[in-house]
Amino acid sequence: MKSLQTILVAALMLVSAAIYAGAEEASPTAQLQPTINNLFAILDDTSLKGDEHLVQRRSEIMTAISNRFDFREMSKQVLGKTWHDLSEEEKEHFVAQVTKLLENVYIGKLESYGGREVEFVAERIKGKRAQVTTIVPYEGANIPIHYIMQREHDEWMVYDINIEGVSLVRNYREQFRTILLQQNYEGLIKIIEEKNQAFAAEHKTG
Amino acid sequence: MRYCALIVILCILAWPTEHYAVEKAGGGGIGAEIDPSPENPYPDLLLDPESEGPDLLDEDPYISEPVELLGDPIFEDDFFFNEPPPPIYDPLESMNRAIFTFNDRVYYWFLKPTKKVYTSLLVEDVRRCLGNAFANIAAPIRFINNVLQGKFEDAGVVVGRFLINSTLGVFGLGDAAYRDFHIEPRLADFGQTLGKWGVGEGVYLCLPFLGPSNIRDTVGFFSDAYMHPVPYLSDSFGSDLVYLGVSRVNLMSITPDVYEDLKRMSLDPYIGARQAYYDYRRSIIAE
Repeated sequence: MKSLQTILVAALMLVSAAIYAGAEEASPTAQLQPTINNLFAILDDTSLKGDEHLVQRRSEIMTAISNRFDFREMSKQVLGKTWHDLSEEEKEHFVAQVTKLLENVYIGKLESYGGREVEFVAERIKGKRAQVTTIVPYEGANIPIHYIMQREHDEWMVYDINIEGVSLVRNYREQFRTILLQQNYEGLIKIIEEKNQAFAAEHKTG
Repeated sequence: MRYCALIVILCILAWPTEHYAVEKAGGGGIGAEIDPSPENPYPDLLLDPESEGPDLLDEDPYISEPVELLGDPIFEDDFFFNEPPPPIYDPLESMNRAIFTFNDRVYYWFLKPTKKVYTSLLVEDVRRCLGNAFANIAAPIRFINNVLQGKFEDAGVVVGRFLINSTLGVFGLGDAAYRDFHIEPRLADFGQTLGKWGVGEGVYLCLPFLGPSNIRDTVGFFSDAYMHPVPYLSDSFGSDLVYLGVSRVNLMSITPDVYEDLKRMSLDPYIGARQAYYDYRRSIIAE
């Protein structure tokens, strides 16, 4: 009888612990921090530094952050309502190109900072959205990088990066919108592809 | 000795009751501002663990799939249900684009080589000291505008910083107020003041040599020039321009290269610069 009681109590405790863990949701910072730390660890890895390791470094970084950065959502927001006119195939291609563009801009920027330590300094939550502020020291100044996130099935996912006060998504959305006023979608995707090629060429020439 | 005591008292008076350096977030150095403040333009969030950071989130609930929610794309005027930020009014786009291209040439053909020579002539410490001094002299702009914006505490901080840096900082060459007392600069300009008073942005302008601006901020720029002490001390307009030029080149030499970054990342740098400028100006006016 006693042992049955013990088992029951233990089972109850387990269940309540599980419920408690479910209720205690990880904060946006707690979820983002390991991802960003991984990113900076890869940037800091001496065996991966330099242009000759660019491809490998970038691919490791993109793998490391893909669970926390919603590149599809970013692509959708950057394109605006034209998104709904695209076929699934075109969407895939567009997401791939925009992901590459953001990788070149965002990771490229962090690479130029030299892969230093990053500090998590602030967090703000509004309903389903959150903003996590990090500080990266660069040339004597502290550069604030804000990660704008939204909750998707209990996971906080980054859908905008705000560097030095400028929202990447909004900036590109305005640029894309202007281009789409004069050209069709094919024209836009071509310009994005050319930009990515220019970034790739930059590293080849050093 | 008495002097030191006075400074300490002023310092205590000027000390803000709470940290609100957070508000100063934003990328400086993109547009036309006369105040050459090179001091750390970023907030010292590290000093303030309580802060949530600047509010970059929109007010309305964020809706990921409006089409799915409404079920009818016809209702969907634009992609967002959030009230979109007011559009940028740019009827002079073709002229602005021409000036943008002109500024681009000025940058690559003239400013960048000048910066290179300047940087090679003076070591970084000297350039930073000069930057501090240029910013210190421009203190009246920040003082008057903080007063006009009703931010009397900030205005007090500006006075406190000016007094500390002009004395302990030796003619403003050192930023003793920040280094020794951790008093952050309090930036303010007349374009921002007008914005806070509810004056609209007006037409977007890309100014020759100065870059992105608009009617309101251009008025602000020239009004700020009247609050700057140098024109009152110098004897000719030419020397004012030399002063402006030198302080700008010096500022360029000690701040990260915003323009080249922007150009590198943009598909349409003109739009990228315009948007970044408005983002930045709107954020410092909304704070």
